[in-house]
Amino acid sequence: MMLGQRGLHRHAAGRLAACAPELAARHDLDTMAGLLAARHEIGADPALAATAVAVVLRRFALADLVRECCAFALGLDEAAMTAWRRSFTRAVFLVGNPANLRDRFAFAHVAPDSSAAWTRPATDDATAALRRLLKALDAPAALRAAPRSPVPVGGPLPAAGAARPGARLDLHVATAGVTVVTALVEVHHLLAEAVADGLVEAGDSIVPHTVPRLVGLDEPPAALRVGIDPLAPDRWYAAAALTVRRGS
Amino acid sequence: MFAAEARPAEGRRARILVAPVTVTPTKPLTPSHLKGLLWTDVLVRATAALADVTHLGSHTAFHSCEQTVGFWEFLDRTFGDLDYSACSDEDIGELYVRYRRSGQTPTAAACRPYLEALDEHSWVHPASARVLDIWQDQYAQLGMADPGLTRHQPPGLALEETIARLDAEGLCVDLRRLGGPVYLDPTRWGMPLRRIVAADGRPNYLACALRQLLPLVPDYDETVLLCDRELQPDYVLLQRVLTKAGATVHRVTLGRVAIDGQIDSARHGGWHRHTAAALLRAAGAGYDEAALRFGLRLYFIAVLGPGTSVPFSFDLLHRSLRRARLLLTDDGGATGTDLADLVGRHRGRHRYVDPYRLTSGLLARRQRRPGRELIRTVFA
Repeated sequence: MMLGQRGLHRHAAGRLAACAPELAARHDLDTMAGLLAARHEIGADPALAATAVAVVLRRFALADLVRECCAFALGLDEAAMTAWRRSFTRAVFLVGNPANLRDRFAFAHVAPDSSAAWTRPATDDATAALRRLLKALDAPAALRAAPRSPVPVGGPLPAAGAARPGARLDLHVATAGVTVVTALVEVHHLLAEAVADGLVEAGDSIVPHTVPRLVGLDEPPAALRVGIDPLAPDRWYAAAALTVRRGS
Repeated sequence: MFAAEARPAEGRRARILVAPVTVTPTKPLTPSHLKGLLWTDVLVRATAALADVTHLGSHTAFHSCEQTVGFWEFLDRTFGDLDYSACSDEDIGELYVRYRRSGQTPTAAACRPYLEALDEHSWVHPASARVLDIWQDQYAQLGMADPGLTRHQPPGLALEETIARLDAEGLCVDLRRLGGPVYLDPTRWGMPLRRIVAADGRPNYLACALRQLLPLVPDYDETVLLCDRELQPDYVLLQRVLTKAGATVHRVTLGRVAIDGQIDSARHGGWHRHTAAALLRAAGAGYDEAALRFGLRLYFIAVLGPGTSVPFSFDLLHRSLRRARLLLTDDGGATGTDLADLVGRHRGRHRYVDPYRLTSGLLARRQRRPGRELIRTVFA
């Protein structure tokens, strides 16, 4: 299926209006300029996204990010996830080695190989000391194709009686003109919100598909991230999407 | 790779590595530089009475830093093929000031021919070769041993191998595959990340020092790093990493010398009456070689001290030279005391001889005059 400019714009505007209706009311979300201004206000106003997580990365591989981001999000209690969702699942990505930091800082989740770690959602004060020691992730290289191997989603299983058979999902990530750090941000938001919305649960599996553009998807996206097209700043593009395989 | 701490076997003299910060061969030696060099010289010579000392003085290891190779590229791009053979160190220093003021940072591609020539053919730009030649003469006048100023002394580890060793110990984060830099990671000690290799692959001074020192320090019982105060944060890091590698490492930090009330980096110029050449001309008249060398050490070590509170003064310098001449002509100096015992009293909790304690002790009021052997061996 095709995700045209109108469809992408409607999706982005609809998500913002649902998450922040008061903010949406202050802007003309029917225009690209208005929608971008609303997004900019989220980034510029600390009160609108006061809760964030710090993600410490020693290295990056898409499959590892999928697995550990889902494990982290699934491990959050409802209050923490709600607060984080209200802040648009804001995350700060830092360079560092979690193995060197565990004695000084408490992390909500650490990857088993210490390649990544997440702090619990909190205000920026809680991560000030950590951010002083580390650096913002600087990863301007182009995102390369990743293996299409299923990534099992771990974390706490759903409560008894609410379990469903493990779903099989496909994660589609655009690569044309996209840097590693841009893809990281988009995929992280997508997966965090998918877990918050119950689209992804423990026991599911996700297959990453890195493709130049998200065109010709077999299924309509169950979750979608829309951004400014890196190839043309006056256009939207589908940065990342999750689709659910039929029969899941 | 990262081994347990070494101790000298019974009866063997300790082996000590002295590794001072190098001066970039792009400008004249200033009082701040002379302080570091003379401090190192006395430390090396005094400690040699007690231990086997290696004085590390390779400039080759640091030519690949932006301060040097960037200057070379700037010279050729801006001026073409100049004849540097008749230039003074001040002439070349003025060009270096222009380079720093230009704010230009050459690209990795522009520097590549210079780095390849350095690595493959031991090539040094004629401007820096000229400065090193001039320094060789000044070292000789100052009575300082040449640690190999013009000798090709490449570091023992390639950059990739250095990064691999650090990575294996969890001491670096390498983002080059993602288009980012390489960071040294001392966060386990509560210290922030420090970039050592830029995203374009170029190493900084700290990376070059690690390439040089990591393979060397396991062979020594003690390593002494000397630096000025402005470099202290990087040298604290260097000390930590080398200690993690099993070495016993001490750090001597010296304050720069204020001139006319200002402490400025040499990259800003302003050194004209205070270069090594100017000081040797001003101080040389009226003093023989021994008094000159002894007097300069008395001044730069004992009078200026390790801090920054004492500004440069020609009056105090001449007073030190006169004092040196007096001490040299005195036949009543200390005799019968073994040199090793004499200098050995000036060690703290380390094996190297503290040059400040030793030198300032010579000027103490109730101190017996130093014997000729001490002066000749260590100071003149």
